[in-house]
Amino acid sequence: MRRTAAWRIALWTTLAFSLGTFVAFFIVYLMVAQEVRARSDAWLTGEAETLAQVAHNTPRDSLYDQIVEEVAELAMREVPDERSSGGERLNSVFFLRVDPTPGGNNLFVGPGSKGPFWRALQQAPLVAGVPQSVRVEGWPLAFRVVVLAQERGSTIYLGLSEGGVTHILQKLTRRFLGVWTGTVLFGFLISYLSARRTLLRVERITETVARIGSQELDERLPEQLNSDEISRLAKTFNHMLGRIQASVNQLRSVTDAVAHDLKSPVTSIRGTLEAALSAESSEPWRDAVGQAIEGLDRVSVLLNTTLDVAEAQAGALHLDRVTVDLSEVVTQLVDLYQPAMAEKHHEVRTDLESAVVVDADLGFINRTLSNLLENELVHLPDGCQINIRLRAHEGNAELVVEDNGPGFPPDISSHAFERFVKGKQSPGYGLGLAFVAAVAQAHGGAVKISDRSCGGARVTLSLPISALQPA
Amino acid sequence: MGPDLPMRLLLVEDDLPIQRFVARALLEAGYQVDAAADAKSAEALALEGVHDALIVDLALPDRDGLDLIARCRAQGSSAPVLILSARRSVDERVKGLEHGGDDYLTKPFAVAELLARLRNLLRRSSAPQTESVRLEAADLQLDLVRREARRGDHVLQLTPQEFSLLEYLCRNAGRVVTRTMILDHVWRMRFDPGTNVVDVHIYRLRSKVDRGDCRPLIHTIRGVGYVLKEA
Repeated sequence: MRRTAAWRIALWTTLAFSLGTFVAFFIVYLMVAQEVRARSDAWLTGEAETLAQVAHNTPRDSLYDQIVEEVAELAMREVPDERSSGGERLNSVFFLRVDPTPGGNNLFVGPGSKGPFWRALQQAPLVAGVPQSVRVEGWPLAFRVVVLAQERGSTIYLGLSEGGVTHILQKLTRRFLGVWTGTVLFGFLISYLSARRTLLRVERITETVARIGSQELDERLPEQLNSDEISRLAKTFNHMLGRIQASVNQLRSVTDAVAHDLKSPVTSIRGTLEAALSAESSEPWRDAVGQAIEGLDRVSVLLNTTLDVAEAQAGALHLDRVTVDLSEVVTQLVDLYQPAMAEKHHEVRTDLESAVVVDADLGFINRTLSNLLENELVHLPDGCQINIRLRAHEGNAELVVEDNGPGFPPDISSHAFERFVKGKQSPGYGLGLAFVAAVAQAHGGAVKISDRSCGGARVTLSLPISALQPA
Repeated sequence: MGPDLPMRLLLVEDDLPIQRFVARALLEAGYQVDAAADAKSAEALALEGVHDALIVDLALPDRDGLDLIARCRAQGSSAPVLILSARRSVDERVKGLEHGGDDYLTKPFAVAELLARLRNLLRRSSAPQTESVRLEAADLQLDLVRREARRGDHVLQLTPQEFSLLEYLCRNAGRVVTRTMILDHVWRMRFDPGTNVVDVHIYRLRSKVDRGDCRPLIHTIRGVGYVLKEA
């Protein structure tokens, strides 16, 4: 799944989407934070002014302190966005009036003792009427503090813990993260599913085209009525398949015509000659007629192979695929060639993995493998050793035929798979390896030749292993 | 098939030289032959229903040979068909017919093989023969159950492959078998190897069967194949 394009598309889309939404939130967060702070500061300033007013207007009698304190406590209950969780006050407010005149007393209303607040306020560079953040020892959160100077030298400090603002912003962040995670997951799911749905159509096209490529060309992709990109892809493929089919059919009809036109006279000549031989006689011409028939047989083999190679190279070779156990086929062929090999004092050693199964045209596979053995028979000097190995390797059936003979002539090894390329000493037509390569290619396999390091030639034929292994 | 009742065949082939030599070979082999050069006249002849087998070339001037066969079948003809084809590979429509008891042969073919396949077809279409467990030819005896071969009193030491080869030659004693026929029957492969692989097997078999001063039984007919017979 990780390697599918749908997965990658969904991943990248989600990444871009989550980054975008995150940036958008961050901007909103900054704006909200600013607004919340502004509102909080406005309350603070307003309340401080009210308190200053009260302090100013209240006559300085014995009740002065009591009145100011009560007003301050009242003010504290009006703190905006006050929330209590588990009885704990989130918004802590303190009020401090400092009267430097002799006999003037300082008034502190707030949580805890005055000491830490006073020390913090003395160190803070406060400007009158402008709320600022001040850290107080023993309090985890800073206080917004506004300071107001009064006429008689006294100063009023009103502080509000940032707990409320922080709480709002934390809540906002938590909710956003929840919603954001959900949206991102949902977005990922949607984009993955839609990408997969789209790409499944592409996958179906790929499968169909692969099947068409390996079998018959008269199949077509289903075309949908709408004309999105994928429908156009299918249409283009169908158009291309039509053209390929036309040229393949043309090639087949040409090769069939050539085969027919050449084989008809060969058939009648051969038949006539054979009829002459069937009469009981020991005429001296019998040998000549026999030779003529053998010549005609070579001509038809040559003709067949040439046309097969031409069709295979054009991808037009008709394969009648069946399940073929290569181990059995090789064993059978080695059995067939063994006496002929022994006649030339070759030693044939086989190392065959059992049940190596391919989907192949049995006739072509027989001819291909026999071609490889014929090559050894024809090209090797007497008394060589031939090794034949078969194994399943990385999804391929790999057949290696190697010998300890003179190896490939250097002038042909680079283009040994072309038609009519052969060594100077070779008695054949130079079709053997071209045929082997063409059949391998038609089956979706490959063949390569090399010289062994210890001398001798090596041919490696690989064919895709059948997807359906027999039980 | 008794010798008193010759089999009657219909040969459909548009190439006249081929038609002539095939007809002659069939006549020499003791068959009666009607010949046609196109599908239309062939159909008329086939529908008389007197033929024991049909030999049909696929490429006829007026119609495809397979169409002809299909039409004959549709009209009740049940004679087996031997198809001749100049195509290199035989397409699956023909192979489909083969399962129905018919057979095919690609051009150019050996007359010996044509006759062998024809005999096979006719035998299949008549009552099945009882498989014998012994084969005899001249002083050669094959026990098919024990896979043992004797020449006179002498037991031949044969490999399983050599025995199969000798069995095939024996079954066709007196008749010529070609290399491709041998490959087809003994090794189940249908192709023409370029070299003498089959010949080497025959030489080896011959060295065991025709040993010493025995009268030779296995004969080579150059250009055609081999025959097992008393000279």
